[in-house]
Amino acid sequence: MQTAIGSGHMPLDEVLLVIAIGAYTIGALALIVYFFSREEWLAHLGIPLALAGCAAQFAQLAARFEITHVWPLLNLYGSLSLFSAVSVGIFIYFAFRYRLWFAGGFVLALAALFLAYGSTWNEGVMPPVPSLQSYWAKIHVPLVVSSYAAFMVAFVMAALFLVKYYFERGLEGNRFSVSRMMAVAGAENVRSTYDYQIAQMAMPDAGISSPAVVTKMDTPNIAQAAAQGNAAAAWMNAMPSLAQMDVLIYRIVAVGLPLLTLGIITGAMWAHESWGAYWQWDPKETAALFSWIVYAIYMHLHTRAQWRGVRSAWISLVGFLSIMFCYFGVNLWISGLHSYKV
Amino acid sequence: MTAALRSFYDDFTRTFGNVLFAVCLLLAWGLMTLAGVIVDQGKDPAEYFSMYAPPLARLILRLGIDNIYHAPYYVGMIGLILLSLAVCTFKRVIPARLPALRPVAVERIPLNATIRVRGDEADVRSRVERFFTKRGWLVRKREFGGTEWTFADKYNWARRGVLVAHIGFTIIAAGTTVYWASGFSGETPVVVGQTIDVPHRRATLRLNDFKFKIQPIMTKSGMVYQPIDYVSYVTVTGADGIPHERTIRVNHPIDIGGSLFYQSSYGFALRFLVSHTGTRDAALSDKVYEVGESITLPGSGRQIQIDQFVPTVDRQTGTPSSDPRINNPAVALEAVQNGETAGAALVPIGTWIDVGDGWRITPVKYVMVSGLQYRYDPGVPLVGIGAFVLLAGLVISFYFLPARLYVRLRHAELSPGFTDVELAATTVKGYDIFETQFNELVAELQRTFNPPDEGPERLKFAEVT
Ligand code: HEM
Repeated sequence: MQTAIGSGHMPLDEVLLVIAIGAYTIGALALIVYFFSREEWLAHLGIPLALAGCAAQFAQLAARFEITHVWPLLNLYGSLSLFSAVSVGIFIYFAFRYRLWFAGGFVLALAALFLAYGSTWNEGVMPPVPSLQSYWAKIHVPLVVSSYAAFMVAFVMAALFLVKYYFERGLEGNRFSVSRMMAVAGAENVRSTYDYQIAQMAMPDAGISSPAVVTKMDTPNIAQAAAQGNAAAAWMNAMPSLAQMDVLIYRIVAVGLPLLTLGIITGAMWAHESWGAYWQWDPKETAALFSWIVYAIYMHLHTRAQWRGVRSAWISLVGFLSIMFCYFGVNLWISGLHSYKV
Repeated sequence: MTAALRSFYDDFTRTFGNVLFAVCLLLAWGLMTLAGVIVDQGKDPAEYFSMYAPPLARLILRLGIDNIYHAPYYVGMIGLILLSLAVCTFKRVIPARLPALRPVAVERIPLNATIRVRGDEADVRSRVERFFTKRGWLVRKREFGGTEWTFADKYNWARRGVLVAHIGFTIIAAGTTVYWASGFSGETPVVVGQTIDVPHRRATLRLNDFKFKIQPIMTKSGMVYQPIDYVSYVTVTGADGIPHERTIRVNHPIDIGGSLFYQSSYGFALRFLVSHTGTRDAALSDKVYEVGESITLPGSGRQIQIDQFVPTVDRQTGTPSSDPRINNPAVALEAVQNGETAGAALVPIGTWIDVGDGWRITPVKYVMVSGLQYRYDPGVPLVGIGAFVLLAGLVISFYFLPARLYVRLRHAELSPGFTDVELAATTVKGYDIFETQFNELVAELQRTFNPPDEGPERLKFAEVT
């Protein structure tokens, strides 16, 4: 018997994929322009597009499974598809919960890129090799890919954190030292130097109109430049405070790390069933272990107040690079038991 | 001496109990792990010289980076991490206590708010208590110098999450040590028809048959031969002498007396008819040869090496095809004389070749070889438990934030009939992490105690502010 991929009109899953890429691309553009212009209607355009793209992606994976009867996550095409869908999904949750839409354009742009790249690995319908024919594939792969997705969202937040942080430093000249300020941020006892008062001033009568508003102001130079009409400073000023962005990165990493841990554990359980040892020191396993160690370092340093902020943001950036290496580097360049490309 | 020992002990516990020191150890562990990802593991030394510049290849071999995960310094680093973890756990994590219930300067705590509420102090206090209790806060009251304080704690128990995570990691380490101490594993190729003794067990395993299935698939970038299934049909006979028919598939190992047997790979072995001047050489012809083995021809100083089994030879070109299914098989043979290649040929099964000095070789048939892997690992349950304990620790540490609220009530001097609820929050992870929740809590308090539809009251409140 010889199986051939269908020809003629485009299969439903590929149609949905194109819809998702389109929704993400337009949504990314809308939200990036929103980021700079603060035109509300652009956010109202971008948010539904993010939701629509994400829904189209899950529908695409379901359609592919329905059409092919092969679990769709076992190659780079399927796993990248899940990766971008989950990263958008996680982002949507955090965006609604913590009003992060300003960062949405960057997340959607990355999701569209990864999805488009993943579609270049679509080789048609392939039944899985024996080692992949296991119910563990349905558990392990989504967990690992979801952890990568969470780390991607954390990466976007960390990158924005660093942009804002270094912009503030660039503005400070000799007037005010943001690094000193972030250092002070660590020393809990001198926290009261911060402008937390805004929250309380807003509170007694007016109530709190928006519980998620960020009330701490730790970039005085940006605020000042924004007041003087500096456009770049104005959009950075509209982002949450550095301290809150640091917390957001922490919260997102706190989604990713348990997922990665569970992903490694389920991978080990699968390996125990398939390869005869739960841990083989295979490059994929060890690369995931490396990423896990980087994020464990992040978590430990984040318990120290003086390591929160810019240093933590850098570590989470390195963490995501290591995830990318684990995801692509090992699949594409290093041969081992885990080199599943197509 | 004891003073010196004491000071050494103090230095040791201070260093090993320091989180930054632990982070350095984790970093070193991470970098070594990464080195093992980048440098291929377990290759022949010559391969490193072909992959890297000679000084680098020498460095890799000298430092044991070619087998880094079993290098003493790698294992030692994990040992140091465990030591540091233990010291830290006993010195810092376990003794850590929440601060005593004491009054605080509410306005000096960054997360603070004041809400003005209609009602006298006693009434408001009981409403505040009800409010927090309903939301899962543990409420306690204390009086200090005539002022009554309310303390509300949440997820106090979750401070132990760190301890749980660390214990989980330690259990995993213990599980892997159990394997080193008393486990074993290995790989054994079994030829169809062959019976082997199961290592370390009073049992035998006979391979009755081996089947594999490969499906050709036309992909966008060409034909791919996708393996679909490998199965070994075996008979296992234990100490009781009763034979049991079993099948071993990928992802479906079998258990023989606690050792697991896995389908890991497959290969081919060959039977040859070896004759000299027309006479069958029984010794050489009765053997089954695996790929890689050689047939030594007596008296000729010549060896015939079996280089490769070719499942399908292209009938048109006569060259090996990439189709791994068996359809016109052949064997690639190489004649070696005094260590030098003297000739090579692709010999179809069933045909013969003259190899000189009157010797003739006929590959008669191929036989399947099943690559079985076995493993006895008594540490698996411990590793499994440790992994889930570690995971539970992560979830507890990340999702349950121990927090304390300090609540003081004060009669609102300028607003008769009103009480000010002063509120401050602290957590074990600083203030920023609790800011959103604190704002939400305060907003909810505000909504509950001063509902927006109570128009006149709000007006009055606004006037006095
Ligand atoms: C070198 C050995 C280690 C030492 C000395 C160490 C020490 C510590 C300490 C002291 C804390 C608490 C910090 C604080 O709250 O003030 C902590 C937190 C934590 N540790 Fe470790 N640790 C080690 C290794 C590990 C490992 C291998 C893991 C495995 C994941 C781990 C998981 C955690 C977690 C989850 C937290 C809580 C972090 C948070 O709540 O944000 N630790 N560690």
